Amino acid sequence: MSRFFARSDSESEESSSDDEITDKAPGATFKQSLLLSDDEEDTKRVVRSAKDKRFEELTNLIKTIRNAMKIRDMSKCLEEFEQLCRAFLKSKNIVDKEGIPPFYIRLLADLEDYLNQLWEDKEGKKKMNKNNAKALSTLRQKIRKYNRDFESEIAAYKENPQESADEEEEEKEPEDSGSSSDSEGEVSSKSFLKKKPEAPSEATDRSQTAKESEDKSSSSDEDDDDDDDDGDWSPSDSDSRSETSDKEEENALKRKRLVTFLKVKRSQDTEKPGVRKEERKKKPKQKEQIEEEAEEEGGWEKVNRGVPLVKEKPKMFAKGTEINTAVVVKKLNEILQARGKKGTDRAAQIELFHALAAIAAENNLGQGILVKIKFNIIASLYDYNPNLAAFMKPDMWKKCLDCIDELLDILFEHNNIFIGENIAEDSENLAVSDQPFRVRGCILTLVERMDEEFTKIMQNTDPHSQEYVDNLKDEGRVCGIVDRLLTYMENKGSTEEICRVYLRRIMHTYYKFDYKAHRRSLGLQGETKSEQDQEENKEENKEENKEENKEESEGEDSAVIMDRLCKFIYAKDRTDRIRTCAILCHIYHHALHSRWYQARDLMLMSHLQDNIQHADPPVQILYNRTMVQLGICAFRQGMIKDAHNALLDIQSSGRAKELLGQGLLMRNMQERNAEQEKIEKRRQVPFHMHINLELLECVYLVSAMLLEIPYMAAHEFDARRRMISKQFHHQLRVGERQPLLGPPESMREHVVAASKAMKMGDWRTCHSFIINEKMNSKVWDLFPEIQRVREMLVRKIQEESLRTYLFTYSSVYDSISMATLSEMFELEMPTVHSIISKMIINEELMASLDQPTQTVMMHRTEPTSLQNMALKLAEKLGNLVENNERVSDLKQGIYGGYFNRDQKGGYQQKQSYQRDGKSYQQKQSGYQRGGYRNQNQGNY
Amino acid sequence: MASRETTVFGTINQTIVVLKIIKHYQEEGQGSEVVQGVLLGLVVDDRLEITNCFPFPQHTEDDADFDEVQYQMEMMRSLRHVNIDHLHVGWYQSTYYGSFVSRALLDSQFSYQHAIEESVVLIYDPIKTAQGSLSLKAYRLTPKLMEICKEKDFTPEGLKKANIGFEQMFEEVPIVIKNSHLINVLMWELEDKSTVADKHELLNLSSSNHLEKSLQLLMDRVDDMSQDIVKYNTYSRNLSKQQQQKHQYLQRRQQENAQRQSRGEPPLPEEDISKLFKPPQPPPRMDTLLIAGQINNYCQNVKEFTSQNLGKLFMAEALQGHN
Repeated sequence: MSRFFARSDSESEESSSDDEITDKAPGATFKQSLLLSDDEEDTKRVVRSAKDKRFEELTNLIKTIRNAMKIRDMSKCLEEFEQLCRAFLKSKNIVDKEGIPPFYIRLLADLEDYLNQLWEDKEGKKKMNKNNAKALSTLRQKIRKYNRDFESEIAAYKENPQESADEEEEEKEPEDSGSSSDSEGEVSSKSFLKKKPEAPSEATDRSQTAKESEDKSSSSDEDDDDDDDDGDWSPSDSDSRSETSDKEEENALKRKRLVTFLKVKRSQDTEKPGVRKEERKKKPKQKEQIEEEAEEEGGWEKVNRGVPLVKEKPKMFAKGTEINTAVVVKKLNEILQARGKKGTDRAAQIELFHALAAIAAENNLGQGILVKIKFNIIASLYDYNPNLAAFMKPDMWKKCLDCIDELLDILFEHNNIFIGENIAEDSENLAVSDQPFRVRGCILTLVERMDEEFTKIMQNTDPHSQEYVDNLKDEGRVCGIVDRLLTYMENKGSTEEICRVYLRRIMHTYYKFDYKAHRRSLGLQGETKSEQDQEENKEENKEENKEENKEESEGEDSAVIMDRLCKFIYAKDRTDRIRTCAILCHIYHHALHSRWYQARDLMLMSHLQDNIQHADPPVQILYNRTMVQLGICAFRQGMIKDAHNALLDIQSSGRAKELLGQGLLMRNMQERNAEQEKIEKRRQVPFHMHINLELLECVYLVSAMLLEIPYMAAHEFDARRRMISKQFHHQLRVGERQPLLGPPESMREHVVAASKAMKMGDWRTCHSFIINEKMNSKVWDLFPEIQRVREMLVRKIQEESLRTYLFTYSSVYDSISMATLSEMFELEMPTVHSIISKMIINEELMASLDQPTQTVMMHRTEPTSLQNMALKLAEKLGNLVENNERVSDLKQGIYGGYFNRDQKGGYQQKQSYQRDGKSYQQKQSGYQRGGYRNQNQGNY
Repeated sequence: MASRETTVFGTINQTIVVLKIIKHYQEEGQGSEVVQGVLLGLVVDDRLEITNCFPFPQHTEDDADFDEVQYQMEMMRSLRHVNIDHLHVGWYQSTYYGSFVSRALLDSQFSYQHAIEESVVLIYDPIKTAQGSLSLKAYRLTPKLMEICKEKDFTPEGLKKANIGFEQMFEEVPIVIKNSHLINVLMWELEDKSTVADKHELLNLSSSNHLEKSLQLLMDRVDDMSQDIVKYNTYSRNLSKQQQQKHQYLQRRQQENAQRQSRGEPPLPEEDISKLFKPPQPPPRMDTLLIAGQINNYCQNVKEFTSQNLGKLFMAEALQGHN
């Protein structure tokens, strides 16, 4: 502090004399300095980095503050200070990079001192007007708080005010020079940092030269310094003076910059050439470079400025350079270094790699280097899109496929190339051809990435456009590549790698229906079934693709392939995820080909249902898909209950679309922000793998109908009747709410209409609603074995209608002949017999069979509705009395008296009310949601 | 007035009133919907003669500014012009399977009876009437209930103090329907002309539908009752628990004071216990009472119905046996 004061004291006289001079001729100096700094101004205007802009803003604000300080305008000071703080916050990015600018610290320190001084000055304070006094106290508090954050810097500044003052100039100057010569702030700042140690010694020396060369500048230079200290000692300066000194300051700064810039250059030339070589490399203007460096230079220039490549191409290697592996590798590394940097032209980089590959090939540098370059080309192709969401452009994609194909070609041709992720960079062997090549890189990762890109492309293409079909045709190539990789890996790769590539293969196989195998199994080879013609476009595409890509496994069924691949994974895989995926795909494939028992056994044996909720979303989606396919498969096989249970979880949520990854549901934004939406979008399954949602819903509703309608009929009067399927009931209610019932239009309406018919036991109408032209085209035709499914459906409808009929109308009959029933429902006698017997055994129907006359004798033990009601009432009254007793118990002060009343059994004989409560519960448990597994396991 | 309260009111209806009420229901009421109207008449000795009535218009949501009082005054004035009794003596209401004992009825009857001492409420049961026997009943609130309603004290204690049960809520007033002689003559004539078929309803043997409905309603009420009882149960349990706590607290305080006294210190000041222990909110018991009344009503209905039906069934059996 003392030192600071001493200095400012000594200078005070000098500057005051300066004041007079500047007062006399402010205009002249201004003009002069303008002239001097003209050329620099120009360059400054052209390129100004963000840092410059911000700092200028700051300095301007600081200037105003200083002015306000001088005239003791506290309110203005406060205002400006607040602005300054804001501006500083705004430039935080730059400050973080550059460090806090010293001039800023200087202002803070000065301002605080100044304020303290004013505060001490009681007299002066009294004289101040109210506003100013108020502003002063606020500002004082504010700055105190604010300065706490910069304590160390301020302390440093106070320790050595001069140095920090110099530092400021120092900082400004290289940055300016940088901006004038090239726009790379980073580089210049680096060079500045390197120079820093020299700064103090230079400072004195520089100020001398500056004084010698220009009187004016030196005087204003001092002036500049003084201004900073002004606050300490000359608060009563006049307005005009501060204005002029402002201008002076600016001019002086400019001039100084010029001087120091020259100076630095000069000193660079003379001092330590070794160190500065690095720096010079980064300043492309300096052209005296050696040949090797020229390459680097070229690389840098191309990348930085984005100069058209064609021109630069010859520059890749200087003429006459002997092109060998080392040189190419070096070049490769150079290109690689630019990767990921801002401003790097990625397309150009890819071109560069290609050119390099061509050169390498030209000069016969061996396969090792070629492989290496190929790896990099593919990697940079993937890098082309900066964010994950965007997908590859078609030409990029083609290029990528070609590249991978070529790479695989090379790998197949040359057995002596080892590739692997864990080969270290320096242990690579690219040149020596008599030893096996060793190249760092992982073909598997590349192919996996390619597969993902393919998925991404499919996700981002409109599924109803021709483009989608075109893109889908590429799947053949993708599969081909995966297959080739598979054969390659089988020879060379480790088990884990084989597992990974197998999974890829499985992922491309599991959802495709193997028509050939299907036809073979039906013995219809070569004969095109009409149903197949009706298959959707995408299905045909699928098949086409498969035929393309499975040329080598022509004879093999996809089932066999799946079996082989999956079993390998089950045996060898160590990571849980791959195995889970493989199992799910395997189940899916089984289910798709109607191998219900295999699929179900695999699902139950894997115990996936227990812990699937812990898996990651994509696996869960796969699980959901598998469950749905399993349910549909069960339906085709006529296992209605299994179908219903498998589909229940997906359908009951009402979010089937989302759960299957086939589209996003419209939801309000608060539930999901943009970020989440992006993630969810990435999880979507491409269109060609979709499961038809209408089919899914229809299968679910029809199976629910087949279960629910007889159940409803059986338990019409049961108070505790439970719904088997909420969704189905919802559909029924919606149907009932219709004011006007026209002929059914949608699939749902059809099912509802059919349900109504079935309720009346009218199976013919039900049948005509479920199976007709409309429903065929909407739903049933999507099944591969349509005829069988239809037959099954008809039969089920007949059976369940019979059951419903018996439940509903049994009270009307005393006896009914089975022959009549069989005629009514067009079922064979034995079937009718078995259905009725089953109902009797299950105590659903109170009846007995009279063998000689083939009739069903009703026993009439079913209570009438009135009786049912009375029973219910009795039960309720029992409850009421019980509750009442509790109240009276309480009144008599027997606490807990009702806890042991159960033994007394006063009103607890509810069993007598519940006619067959037990059997209900047993039956109901089977319909509970979790019951699916338990039941099935019980069956084994 | 006081003397009249104790005497049993007899009401005399003119046929026109009955017919008007029936007509009103036929025109406007369907199913469980309820129609209401105003009774007009005058008090003669200890009888209340109801000589005319007019319906309340069915007002919907969209004419909310409809002024009922205004309408009534207007109506009465008009009736007066045509020389009809215009004294307000009560109101009538239709019912659905005898469900009329409700809070709304209680409130409005209370306000009627409060304003016009002699007013009654006529309950018309269209369903029973449709089965062949006119069902029209007149009710009044008992003086006890009037008192309770006046005090608005529906807490358990209040009701206990009033010592009121569901049986003593309403008193039924006997009804006599009188016709003018001319009408009587006409009726005789009509009876002669009418065929037997018109009277078949009376012998209708099907009973389950009516019974089912009644049971359904009864069940609903029973459910409500159970709920109320459970509520009351929790309340009384809470109350007793709190009572215990209060007791314990007081005992502790007493002990402490005794100790303090023995040590020669001044006793602790008595604090307001009711502040420390806020008594739980007692559930209003009036609804329970009403439900009980309603249940009673249903039971009466069912009993009546079944006894009649049993008679019919025996009759039918005897007839069959005879044939």
